[in-house]
Amino acid sequence: MKQVPDPDTPPSAFHVDESANRVVPPPGTPPVVNGFDLNATEAALLLKDAAGGTDVEITIIAVGSEFVMDVVKRPLSMGADELVLVDDPALENLDAFATARVLAKTIEAQGPFDVVLCGRQASDWDNGHVPLVLSELLGFPCISFARNIKVTDSGVRVERSLTDGYQVVDSPLPAVITVTNELGEPRYPTLRGIMAATRKTPTTLSLNDIGVTDGDVAASLELTRLFVPESERRVEIIGGDDEVDAGRQLALRLREENLI
Amino acid sequence: MTTNIEEARKQILAMVREFVDRDVRPAAAQHDEDDTYPTALVDQMAEMGLFGITIPEEYGGLGLDHSTYAMVFEELSRGWLSITGPIGTHSILAHALAHHGTEDQKRRWLPGMATGEHRAGLALSEPGGGSDVASLQTTAVKDGEEYVVNGNKLFITNGREGNIFFLLAKTDTTIEPQHRGISGFIAEKGPGFTAGKDLNKLGYRGVDTTELIFNDYRVGTDNLIGGEEGKGFYQAMDALETGRVNIAARAVGVAQAAFDDALAYSLQREAFGELISERQGIQFMLAEMATKIQAARLLTYDAASKKDSGDRFDLEAGMAKLYASEICAEVTLDAMRVHGGVGYIKDLPLERYYRDAPLMIIGEGTNEMQKLIIARNLLKRARAKG
Repeated sequence: MKQVPDPDTPPSAFHVDESANRVVPPPGTPPVVNGFDLNATEAALLLKDAAGGTDVEITIIAVGSEFVMDVVKRPLSMGADELVLVDDPALENLDAFATARVLAKTIEAQGPFDVVLCGRQASDWDNGHVPLVLSELLGFPCISFARNIKVTDSGVRVERSLTDGYQVVDSPLPAVITVTNELGEPRYPTLRGIMAATRKTPTTLSLNDIGVTDGDVAASLELTRLFVPESERRVEIIGGDDEVDAGRQLALRLREENLI
Repeated sequence: MTTNIEEARKQILAMVREFVDRDVRPAAAQHDEDDTYPTALVDQMAEMGLFGITIPEEYGGLGLDHSTYAMVFEELSRGWLSITGPIGTHSILAHALAHHGTEDQKRRWLPGMATGEHRAGLALSEPGGGSDVASLQTTAVKDGEEYVVNGNKLFITNGREGNIFFLLAKTDTTIEPQHRGISGFIAEKGPGFTAGKDLNKLGYRGVDTTELIFNDYRVGTDNLIGGEEGKGFYQAMDALETGRVNIAARAVGVAQAAFDDALAYSLQREAFGELISERQGIQFMLAEMATKIQAARLLTYDAASKKDSGDRFDLEAGMAKLYASEICAEVTLDAMRVHGGVGYIKDLPLERYYRDAPLMIIGEGTNEMQKLIIARNLLKRARAKG
């Protein structure tokens, strides 16, 4: 799970600090849990529901810094069992590779598991790299864009969302699965869940606790320049002999620009 | 523990806000127009646990404080006033039971009320009067282990959808003062107890407001709240204090919704070559609206926190209800002024806020009654000081 700036914040409210290559969110706007991560939480809860609620334990893991407790406890309020936070100032601006290395070590420190569910991407940078790298590091298959997950006798059967339909994949477990919003709206927390969550203390781990080295958090990517692209608007009126011809001309023009 | 309550409150309000924006606001206009009961929304609220907010934890509720409850009501009303209806008077019976019921009655009713399986209403007002509780006409005559109830109740929220009611009836019609003859019962729908037709209201639509008819309705002596006759008036007055805070919170929520729309509109509507938000006439209105809303909100939270600390709060509840409901009507009208003609059209929710606002002026004791309550409290305090 990732704590991100609220994606409903208007883009104009963000400030790009070009000298530091950083995006500065507007002050005073509370962060939220990445939306796709709530879909992943919902996927986990559905698996637990399908198993009759027993023998399934859901652990939520987040790495980062400056966690806001009433935000990151949201999955607990929805029904997850445990929250593990790896909280260190060094984790504030990790790239996907470093994040995946820290996550892999955190996951391995939790003991055996059957499945790792991730949101398909995070709404801050929208890269979607972490789950893929994570599956490599853990040495398990990665199934992306899941819209439906069923546990079978031999593993899992996953429906993957594609642009023109969906694909059904069987995989052994353990596996890393990334979840997409087509899975359905995440459930609301219940008041009882919220009260229970407020009484739970998350397990907070330091980098030392899980044996993360400086090398693990070193950047593999270099961000060379961060800037707001200048956009230019041009208007071109497409004419024609009549409406049918104008439509034809428009289609040709769009094809020329490789837009269709 | 304070931190935990703060943290829980933040999460609860965030959840309710999300529910309001995602589910309530998009559905409100159609339900309002058709005057249809929002079953799916109410079921969702039950699932979230909103029916049990103030019910003690030992009886299956959340046992949350009245401040949180007021904030939840404010937030729900920002979406649609009517959505608070199923919970409002429900909580008044829950309050009466939790504070005055016997142990057996609490165990029997409160857990079902916390889940929303039992949905409650308040059978108090009658065709002959609402605020004048003491002169109510409905009677309950003891017959062995039962009481036989006869009479009519009017303007009963949840009258059709509710299944249990906080019934006030006279078990003694001769005693003076009259209110000592009033007893409180838990009345379940059954033979002799039916709901009349839905009333067609100006606002607060979608939620059922009906007549209730008691015709030789038999209710067991074990349904007499607290097991004691003659206590109904006190049980109701106590619970209605919390009801006034809820009304104030609703008024703040509706006013906030109207203000939010007015502010947003002023930032997009141009006239005479500039945004209307640049014009002083509009700015003055926005400033006054926001100030009134904040003042009403603080009065409401103050009354709720007095209740939470265990103090008497009828003065504060009366002030909050009076002020918040009056400014709600003013703000909804001013928001319409900011919008101009488009605010008068049913395509926008503004006209609904305007129609919903008077409920808070009239309901739960008219504002004229509130002024009497406030003045009496002030005079009593002054006299006590000598």
